[in-house]
Amino acid sequence: MHPTEEALNAYADGSLTAGEAAEIELHLGACVSCRQLVDDLREILRATSDLDLREPPVRVWPRLERAIHLERQDGAPRTQSTDADDARSKGSPAARPTATRSRVVFAGLAAAAAAVVLATAVGIRYLPGRHGDTVGSRPPIETGAQASATGAAEAVESELRQAETHYENAIKGLEQIANAEQGALDPRTAATLQKNLAVIDQAISESRAALRSQPASEPAQASLIENFKTKIALLQDTVALINEMRKGNEAGAARIVSGLKEKGN
Amino acid sequence: MRLTPVVVLAALAAGTLPAGAQDVPHRHVVRVLRAERMGAYQGRDRGPEQTDRFSRKVKLGRDGRVSIGNVSGDITVTGGSGDEVSIEAVKRTRGDQSQLANVRIVVDDRPGRVDVRTEYDSGRFTRNNNVSVDFTVTVPNGASVEVKSVSGSVKVTGVRGAVRGETVSGDVTTSDTPRVEAAKSVSGDVTLSGIQNDGDLSASSVSGNVRARGVKAHALDLGSVSGDLAVSDVTCDRLNAKSVSGGFEYSGSIARGGVYDVNLHSGTVRFVLANPTGFELTANTFSGSIRSDLPLTIGGTSGAGRQRGANNRSMRATFGDGSATLTVRTFSGDIVIAKR
Repeated sequence: MHPTEEALNAYADGSLTAGEAAEIELHLGACVSCRQLVDDLREILRATSDLDLREPPVRVWPRLERAIHLERQDGAPRTQSTDADDARSKGSPAARPTATRSRVVFAGLAAAAAAVVLATAVGIRYLPGRHGDTVGSRPPIETGAQASATGAAEAVESELRQAETHYENAIKGLEQIANAEQGALDPRTAATLQKNLAVIDQAISESRAALRSQPASEPAQASLIENFKTKIALLQDTVALINEMRKGNEAGAARIVSGLKEKGN
Repeated sequence: MRLTPVVVLAALAAGTLPAGAQDVPHRHVVRVLRAERMGAYQGRDRGPEQTDRFSRKVKLGRDGRVSIGNVSGDITVTGGSGDEVSIEAVKRTRGDQSQLANVRIVVDDRPGRVDVRTEYDSGRFTRNNNVSVDFTVTVPNGASVEVKSVSGSVKVTGVRGAVRGETVSGDVTTSDTPRVEAAKSVSGDVTLSGIQNDGDLSASSVSGNVRARGVKAHALDLGSVSGDLAVSDVTCDRLNAKSVSGGFEYSGSIARGGVYDVNLHSGTVRFVLANPTGFELTANTFSGSIRSDLPLTIGGTSGAGRQRGANNRSMRATFGDGSATLTVRTFSGDIVIAKR
């Protein structure tokens, strides 16, 4: 029976205890493919240690910032309690790196969930069409009414901007977790989710462009908010799916599919 | 694998790595290269297929409940005439034969209920995620069935009890299964036929299409991000349909007093209605158009194909007795109301 990838990586790093390393070595003595893998992992370490420094292109800085932020979170004091599974896996070289990381991730998930609840609570205050008739309804024709309509339009735009900010904050938090932890998902599932998030991003861009040209357009306003809600719902489901996979709860992961119907609700 | 700095730099250029990440030194590089190498490691299981068969029959009764949970592999459920649940399963791997023993098929049977699931040994150093299990299950046709899978398709045929089918990666298909309550997938299609349900039906996929034919239900909840939604020969009282880039088509009848909401971003909405008694239509599109083959009364004017507003993008109108409510919005698609 082969060791896990994490165990072999940790062994190649030299980060296992003597006892743990001895267990791996016992296996390596009898397994050519794992021995070859460890040799290659060590060669990767050797080769990469000689790389020259290069100036990063501008576009990578936002990603680096997010990565650094996440790694700072990794380094923060760990106050999460461990569950029974974690306790069982303590001391296991196979589980240790993942378990530590998972605790941080779960903390992040809780924070993100809280952020989303807040954003939704605030964002929901903005409902397109609440502030007057929809496009095509009776236009104001009197001068006084025009002034009033202008004020109402500004209020709508202001609320829309506020809602947008809250949705964006919630999305940012969820994206950080989803992007950092996507390795927990089957690559094809991860690719599917990424592709569909891109579809929603495109829809958001189109709605924004429409609002720039016609700020009072109700279909454009409604579409923007709807797309934000859809993106948050999909990100929440992605994070929940990652969470279940990290916990090794495949049955729970299947249950997450239930939530994936709720796009935009 | 022979690694040289050239190979490493090529990986940098082609990979997902932030290319200039060396000041967070080579940790990211190592990550990418390790992932590449681990892919090859996982590919070590490319030998001849090894299988292990499992077979069991359990008495259930004609209206019991059956649940099946699987991680990897297809699930096929068929309604039969007896009062037994017949479980046939095939474990498959292209790795060591010994791996098959580390995946167990667990059958819990209690009065009126049978639960079937696969359990993978998660040993200290091992993960047996390269074994799949295909299930072929026959249940009493009056049984209720709940099927969940992570990677694999779900197919249910001829079951008269309530049915829920869900998978992350794979298709969900039901036929001659009138009481489907939920059918969901992340990356597969959902295809349903022969629904006769007094309750609600929820069908969704993230990237796949959702199609249903021959549907009679109280409420339909349909959703997708990038797939199309299509229901034909349908009758329902409530409809809620949402998609971002997919289209929507409803072909069938609408109920007196029914409420139908459709919300798309870029797709076209098409209602093809059979002898509707009447509806109130609220339709909005930012850049598409609105067209009706039915004679709508719009702002006091009656006529087929008429719409209010010079831009043809917003409409409030009534047809017939106006008893049903259709609210339709698509950002850039067209809205079409047609007669069947």
